[in-house]
This record gives sequence, structure tokens and C-alpha cells, in this order.
Amino acid sequence: MENTVVKIQDLVKRYGDLIALDHFSLEIKEGEIFGLLGPNGSGKTTTINCLLSLLSYDKGSIEIFGREMTPVSYDIKKEIGIIMQNVAVFDELTVYENIDYFCGLYIKDKEKRKKCIDEAVKFVGLEDFVKFYPKKLSGGLLRRLNIACGIAHKPKLIILDEPTVAVDPQSRNRILEGIQELSRNGATIIYTSHYMEEVEQICTRIAIMDKGKKVAEGTKDELKRMIKNTETITIEILELPDNVLRDISGLDHVYDTNYSDGKLSVYCSGGKHNLLRILDVLQKKELGFGRVYTELPTLNDVFLEITGTALRDKEE
Amino acid sequence: MQVFKAMFKITKKRLPSALAYIIVFIVISVIASSNASKDSKFEMTKLKICIFDEDDTSESRELSELIAQNHDIVEIENDRDVIIDSLYYKRADYALVINEGYAEKLRAGDTADIFASYCLDESFSTVYMGQFLDEYTNSVKAYLSMGMPIDEALSCTEEALSQETDVSMLRNDKGGDAHYSVDFAAYFQYMPYILISAVFIIVCQVLVTMNRRDIRFRTNCSCISSSKYTFQLFLGSGFFVLAVWLLFMAVGVMLNKEMYTGRAWYAVFNSLIFSAVVAAIAVFVSSFEPADNILNLITQVLGLGLSFLCGVFIPREILSDKVLSVARFLPAYWYINANEMIADVIPFSSEGVIQCYLIQLGFAAALILLTLLVRKVRYSGAAISTNVRKTAVSH
Amino acid sequence: MFLHLLKYELKVGLRNKDLIIWLILFPIVLGIFFKVAFGSIYEKTEKFSSIPVAVVEEKENEAFRQVLESIENSDEPFLTANFVDKEEAEKLLSDGDVEGIITTDGELSLTVKEKGLRETMLKSFAEQYKIRERIAMDAINTAPEKAQEVISSLTSETVSSCRKIPLTQGNPDVYIQYFYNLIAMVAMFGCMTGMHITMQNQADLSALGARNNCSPVPKSKSVLACLVGSFVLQTICMVLCVTFLAFVLKTDFGDRLWLVYPTAVLGGIMGVTFGFMVGSLACVGEKAKVAILMTVTMSLCFCSGLMMGNMKAVIAEKIPWFNNINPAAVISDSFYCLNIYEDYDRFITKLITMAVTAAVFAALGFLASRRKKYASI
Repeated sequence: MENTVVKIQDLVKRYGDLIALDHFSLEIKEGEIFGLLGPNGSGKTTTINCLLSLLSYDKGSIEIFGREMTPVSYDIKKEIGIIMQNVAVFDELTVYENIDYFCGLYIKDKEKRKKCIDEAVKFVGLEDFVKFYPKKLSGGLLRRLNIACGIAHKPKLIILDEPTVAVDPQSRNRILEGIQELSRNGATIIYTSHYMEEVEQICTRIAIMDKGKKVAEGTKDELKRMIKNTETITIEILELPDNVLRDISGLDHVYDTNYSDGKLSVYCSGGKHNLLRILDVLQKKELGFGRVYTELPTLNDVFLEITGTALRDKEE
Repeated sequence: MQVFKAMFKITKKRLPSALAYIIVFIVISVIASSNASKDSKFEMTKLKICIFDEDDTSESRELSELIAQNHDIVEIENDRDVIIDSLYYKRADYALVINEGYAEKLRAGDTADIFASYCLDESFSTVYMGQFLDEYTNSVKAYLSMGMPIDEALSCTEEALSQETDVSMLRNDKGGDAHYSVDFAAYFQYMPYILISAVFIIVCQVLVTMNRRDIRFRTNCSCISSSKYTFQLFLGSGFFVLAVWLLFMAVGVMLNKEMYTGRAWYAVFNSLIFSAVVAAIAVFVSSFEPADNILNLITQVLGLGLSFLCGVFIPREILSDKVLSVARFLPAYWYINANEMIADVIPFSSEGVIQCYLIQLGFAAALILLTLLVRKVRYSGAAISTNVRKTAVSH
Repeated sequence: MFLHLLKYELKVGLRNKDLIIWLILFPIVLGIFFKVAFGSIYEKTEKFSSIPVAVVEEKENEAFRQVLESIENSDEPFLTANFVDKEEAEKLLSDGDVEGIITTDGELSLTVKEKGLRETMLKSFAEQYKIRERIAMDAINTAPEKAQEVISSLTSETVSSCRKIPLTQGNPDVYIQYFYNLIAMVAMFGCMTGMHITMQNQADLSALGARNNCSPVPKSKSVLACLVGSFVLQTICMVLCVTFLAFVLKTDFGDRLWLVYPTAVLGGIMGVTFGFMVGSLACVGEKAKVAILMTVTMSLCFCSGLMMGNMKAVIAEKIPWFNNINPAAVISDSFYCLNIYEDYDRFITKLITMAVTAAVFAALGFLASRRKKYASI
């Protein structure tokens, strides 16, 4: 479990004046599902393309399976499966033929290949569609075909670049489960996305990127621990005098409060029994309250806090 | 008028490629109308002849000069391949060799094979020149046999050959009407090809876009009634076709250097009616929702096909009778027929021209009826099949 | 591996609608139109056939009648006469059924509708009478004792003074050029197939290219397989095209049709390598590449006479070297050489030109498409 599969050191990539990757380093161990998270334009796809030696880079080094990755490292490429952001299949070939074509680039033996293809088809659940042309497939099915083309040859390292863009929930769940299954079968996985929930759901380790830099790295719990907020407590309360609000704000570990529309939100950072102490204050003032609920931080909160704002894309 | 407006916006994008066609057309028309000219006075046709004088005597030179009086002499390298190329590509019509010993043999009256000519095939020029050379040598022989010396015989022959027969041209008002010259008719002659190309590029592409399944389904969901929708489509197509046609007419006025007068108006109406036919074809084709590449093929096939079959590019008299009998069932044939009548290439009669108009309008009407039929079958057919499927599911 | 790649290149190619439309259907349609348009021009305008004339006898002219009959009875009659009245003759002339009207009214006179070689021939035929009359008069005046002899020698059959030397066994129809250029066009359209090789193998051009680049197959190998596949596809198109022209449209390629096939195939291969080279060298997107290729191809075809048959002759006079390097002109020229020349010298020169050009194009394409990293995708 401790073998390093991918090692990126000090990677720099410029597009003219734009610095796409700024001294980016990364290490991925065998068997991990590694999530690469970041807003659009943060350098995820650029990282992947450099990793695959498709793009030239200005500085740094990339090693896969302990060997340097170059455009002619065919022995390394043999062990990599790649699922691109854009669907890369032939319109003129059927589902089966497409998988056969790509699988054939890796596996020469026909018998073995046939077995692999059948497994891949089953894996993505396209058994009923093997004779279909890609044009006849819906968006989700097309994505599944795209994945099947990438993993049919049973690679040791699988790179998925936003495989679930524009996919219906059913297909998405299927894809995510599939990725976990691949991981159970021993593959190392690199997964990029800007959907927090997906990454949170499946990734064992996560790196957050912003503006070409790695801004945070760790397991999801480690990441969550990095941020100030540990708990958000919301209480439905009809009337809240200002002095009570001040009291609550003055409690230990509470760093922010907000009261509007009959809802009190209290943001806490660390500490135990925060809820009890707040309720204590309310009871002492004999204020009635309705529903009470607390939320633990999500990756989304981590992401928001670290990268500033999720709406950054829109401003750009 | 939403549909109408949308068509406008889509058309804007197509304009550059349509303009390219239009510019090419105007260039071709200008070249073509500057080329076509027919005189009423008869002239001898001059051939381009190259002479290889292997005898090089005063007699042979005299013959060369005589030929040069009536024809153009071209210089060609005496190399087999070069001669073949020249004859094939019509740099020369006839290659004559005056064999060595020509003068002596002529004097002796032995005229067999004193010349040779290179040829690719039995063409009119070889037959014509062969006759001329026979006539020449026979005449010289005749004068020699009267006891004349050779130089006198040659000069007498020359004199005898220089006689001319009067040739009168059958004046059939050929050369066009005063208001509509044959030169100008060439402009209208090529118009079917370009009308089809330009109209298809603009109108058909737009109509195909508007008719595309998802857009049509979306439109069907809106509150606009289907007959209103179709009406606006027709209106929009009509508008574009009219715009293209007006542009051509304006260019025509510029080429003609004055406003249309007299018989030229017949041609203007003729082209307007043909535009309507083209619009009908466009609407008809687009109701089948062809894919882009198929539509391009159809455009080329229709444009080139109608033009080649109906005598747009090549005069009808050269086309074979079989082709023409097929062409009668195509609208462009009647357009050309009317145009030739108006230009007096074939006898003019206003009834004849109007008959051509009516036949073209008949084509347009038939195409519109077919379009309505196709739309009915295809579109309601889709609704029916979904209904059937629904019932199948509910069972 | 190579076979695997080749198999799929062919599968993809054969299912590509654009290929079928532009390399198979379009040439067939254009070929039919060319046949309709140019099929009978040569026969009708240039190749010799007897000229129909109407003869109107205002006065009986027994001698002229005899001459006409003797002409009509010869092997290759130079004219065919219809004896009709004046009104009928004018109708025939204006309908184009006869080329001219010869009126015998003491003297011969000629009426025609337009001017041209055939009319000129009729004129000189009519003039023969005057000439012979003149000679006879001269004979009576200068040497009356020999007059009879001279006159009879004039009217008697004489041997031809001119021996024809046919230069070719081939088809002299100049309009067949259009068919040569049609084949050249199909060959040059191969550049589209060739361009797709680069689309499929270069990561910066398509997602497919990126995926192919990530596979453990060396790029040179996959490019080579695609190139061979394209050659095969193009060969199929060329063979279909030539077969259609030769056997369905009955175009006469001369008597060496079996050599037309390999020539067309070689031309097609040159077209594919041309597209492959442009695709590899030009650092622009697919649409721009298609636009570049189409513009270049159609210009080259225009210069070799696809649209106007005499373009090549014009260029041969103005800039002769261009015809030797214009691929479309080289292809159509090689068919011409094969048809017209009896020896193979020039034909072989053209073939070598094509082969060398194709090799240079392919080499340049390979150099430009070597496995590389891209500055941007």
C-alpha cells in the first residue's frame, strides 16, 4: 500500500503569460482513490495532460511507477487507463467495436481481449447496447462507453478527468460505484471533479487546487479539520432579543452568529457540547424554540473557505 | 412574426458563402456575355495551320503564301509530341508537310502523295484542307497540260482559286431583339445554376434548421398554429428568394447599362417565375430534413444536373435528342426555351413564351402540393406512431 | 497490432458518410453530367461527318446533279443533298436540319445560317464550279487543241495529293479531358481522408487523438497503419470511379485501360499524402484545415481544366513549369499521355513525378507528426 505510483515535483506550466501550474507537487500511493478538486480553470486538466506527457511543461519532473514519464514510455502507458473530459470515441464504430479498438491498442491476444471487453461492457452496464452507434446513445450511456473504452484493458492506474459532467444521477451513481469497485480490484485512481459530493463520497485522499497551486491536501477528515468551522447550529426561534443574541455570540468557541427570518445560525469552531450550552442560554431566558439541527462541515465548506468563493468562475 | 424573424437571423450567418457564389456568377456572366457575338455578314473561317516545308523551293513557298492568305500560319516545333499536343489542344487545326521533291513531282504532273498531313482523327479541317490541296494540284496540272511554264501555271491557278461565290445569310432576325441582345441573353442563360446554388445555400439551410426534429417539436409545443408556422416559412423563403432575384436583376441593369426595355421584360418575368420554381424545390427538399452533407450533395446535383441537362452551360443543339426528351420534364428546360425565344435564337411568339411561363408555374404548383403532402405524412405520421406506441405501452 | 489498427481504420472509413458522398457518389453524378454535356460535342462539331445541304433547283442543272450523286455514292460522302423547293429549304435551314442551301440558277449560290467551318466548306464546294469553268475557259483560249483533254482530266477521279499520317491510336476527343480531370479531382479529394489521419493521431486536435496518444502504441506505427488504411480506401474509390467512367459511361480511355487503373490509384495515393502533409504541418483546427485543403484542391483542379477545359493549354503557354508540379494536372496529363502517345516515355515521367511527390509529402507529414508534446491542447 505504500508504493508511490505517481510523483509530480515542482511542475510549472505556462500558457504565454498565464501560469497554469505553479510549482505543483503531488504524490499518489498505490491503491488510493485520489481526488483532484478545484474550480474550473484551476489546472486540473492541465495536470492530467502533463502527467500523460501530452503537454510539454516548463519545469519539474513526473514519475509514474517510479520511472520518468515521456511520450515514448510505452511500458508505462500500457498500465494507464484514461477517461477524458470529452467523449473520445469513433462515431462510425459501434459500442463493441469502439471498446475493441481501444482495448486492442493494449492487448494483442484476441481471446484475452474478448474477455476483457465483455467484462468492461458488463461493468458499465451497456450489455443491451453493444450493437449501437454512439450517436444513438444518451449522454449518460455515452459517458459509460467512454469509461469502458478507458478501463477495458485493466490498467493499474486509472485517470478520470471529470467523467460525470452532464450525467444523470442514476448513471453517475453507477459510475462512482464502478470506480470504487475498480479500486477494490487493486487499481490506483486519479479522479478530477468539481462536484464536492462525489469526491467526498469516494476519494480516500484529496488535493484541492486553485490557480495552478495545491492549496490543501489530505483525507477528507484532515481537510475538514483544517478549517475554522466545525459545526453550524441552526435553531428556529420566533423572537430573539438582541441581548440574548449577544450572550450567545459571547459563548466560547462561537465565532459568528446570524439571526434572520426566525432562524438563528450559530457558527462554532472546535469545542464540545456547543449545542447544549446554546440551548442553556435560551432556556434561561425562557425563550421557546422550534426545530434545532446541527450541520457538520462538508468538503464544500472546506473548498469555499480555502479557495475564497465558489462563484469565482462566474466572475471570470 | 417570430418564425420570420428567426429565419432572418439564421440567414445572416449564411450570407458570406452565398455571396461567394453570387460574385463568381457575375464574373462568369460578364466573361460569357463578352464572348458571345454573332455577325450577320458571312466570313470564311480561318484555320490555324502549321506548315513544315521540306521541299523549300519557290513552288512550295508560293503554296505556303497562298495558304497564308486565307488562314493563320502558326509556328510549331517539328517534334512528334509537340505536334500531337498542338493538334489536341487546338493550338493548330492542321499540320501540313510539303514533302521533299514537291516541285519536281508537280512539274511532272505526278501529284500523288506530294503532301502529308499529321492528324489525330478525321476532322472537318483535314477534309477541308485535303479538298483544297487536291483542287490546287489539279488546277496546276491542268494549266501545265495546256503547255504553260510552271510559274505561269501557278499564277493562273492562284487567280482561278481566288474566285468567290456569293454567300447570303439567312436573315432570321438572328442576333437578337433590339431590346434583348444575344450578349445580354447569356446573362439570363446562366442564371438557373446560380439561382439554385444561392437559393439552396441560403433558404434550404435555414429551412432545414427550422424543420429539425427538436426545433420542430419545440415549436409544435408552442401556441403558434401549424398552418401559421408553415405560412411564415413560405413567406420567409419567398422573401429571401425575392431578395436574391432582385440583386441579380440589379446587376443585370448594370451589365445592360440601361433599364430593361421592351422584350427584356419577358426575360425578367421568366427569371422571376423560375425563382419561384427554385423556391418551391428548396421548400420541398428541406421538408425531408437532409443532413448538411447530403444537402450539399443535393445542391450540387440539382444545380449542375438541371444546368447540364437543360442546356444552361452548353447550347441545346449540341445535346443529344435523348437528353433533351428527358429535359422536357424539368423546369429549367422551359426557362431556357423561353429565354431562347426572347433572344430570337428560336422563333419568338408571345404565346410561346407565356406557355413556357405556365409550364414552369405548373412545376412550382406541383412541388408545393407535394410539399404539403410530405409534411402531412411525415409530421402527422410521427404523431400517429407515438400514439400507437403509447397505446401499446398502456396495454 | 498493425492489422488491428488497419482493420479499424478501414471500418471507420467505410462507414464515413462524407467519404461515400464526396468520393463515390459525387464523382458518379458529375461523371453522368459530363457525359450528357460533353459526350456528343466532339462527334457533332469536330469529327468529320457529311454535311447536310438543301439543293433548290431554280433551273435544271443536270451536270451538278450528277456531281452530287457521285459524291453521295463515294465511301465518305462530304455532303448529303436534299432536293427541295425554296420554302422547304429555308425551313430546313432555320430548324438546323441542313447547314446551307445551294441554289442552282445558272450560277450556284449559297445561303447559310451561321458562319463556321462547315459553311466555309460548302462555299469552297460551290466555288469549285467557277474555278473549273475558269480553267476550261483558259484552256480554250490558250490551247484549244488540248482543251478537251484538260477538261476531262479535271472531272476525272484523281488520286489524293495528301497522305494522312495518323499520330495516335487513342481517343482524339478533346472533351475527354473533363473525365481525366474528374478522376484527378477524386484523387485530390483523397486529401480529406489523409487529413483525418492527423486528426485521429494528434492530441491537440481531438479527444480521440489525445486518447490514442495515451496508448502504448508508437505513433509512427498508428500513423502508418492509418496511412495504409487511407490508401486502401482511396484505391477503392479510384477503382470505382474509373470503372464507372469506363464501363458504365463508356468513356474511351484509349486502348490501354489496364494502365489507367494503377495510374488513378497512384494519383489517389498522392492525394492522400497531400492531405496528410497539410494536416500535419498546418497548426490550425479541423475546419480551417478543411477550408485550406478544399481551396487548394479546387484551385489546382481549376488550373488543370476541371471547370474550363482549355485552362491547362493556357497555363502550358504562360507558365509551363506549373503543369509539371500541379498534382491535378500531372494526374490528368498521365491519362492523356496514356491515351495519345504510343511510347511510354512521357507517361513514365508523369508516374515518377507522382510517386516522388507522394513520397515527399508522406515524409514531410511523418516528420511533422512524430510523437511530440504539445504546447497547448
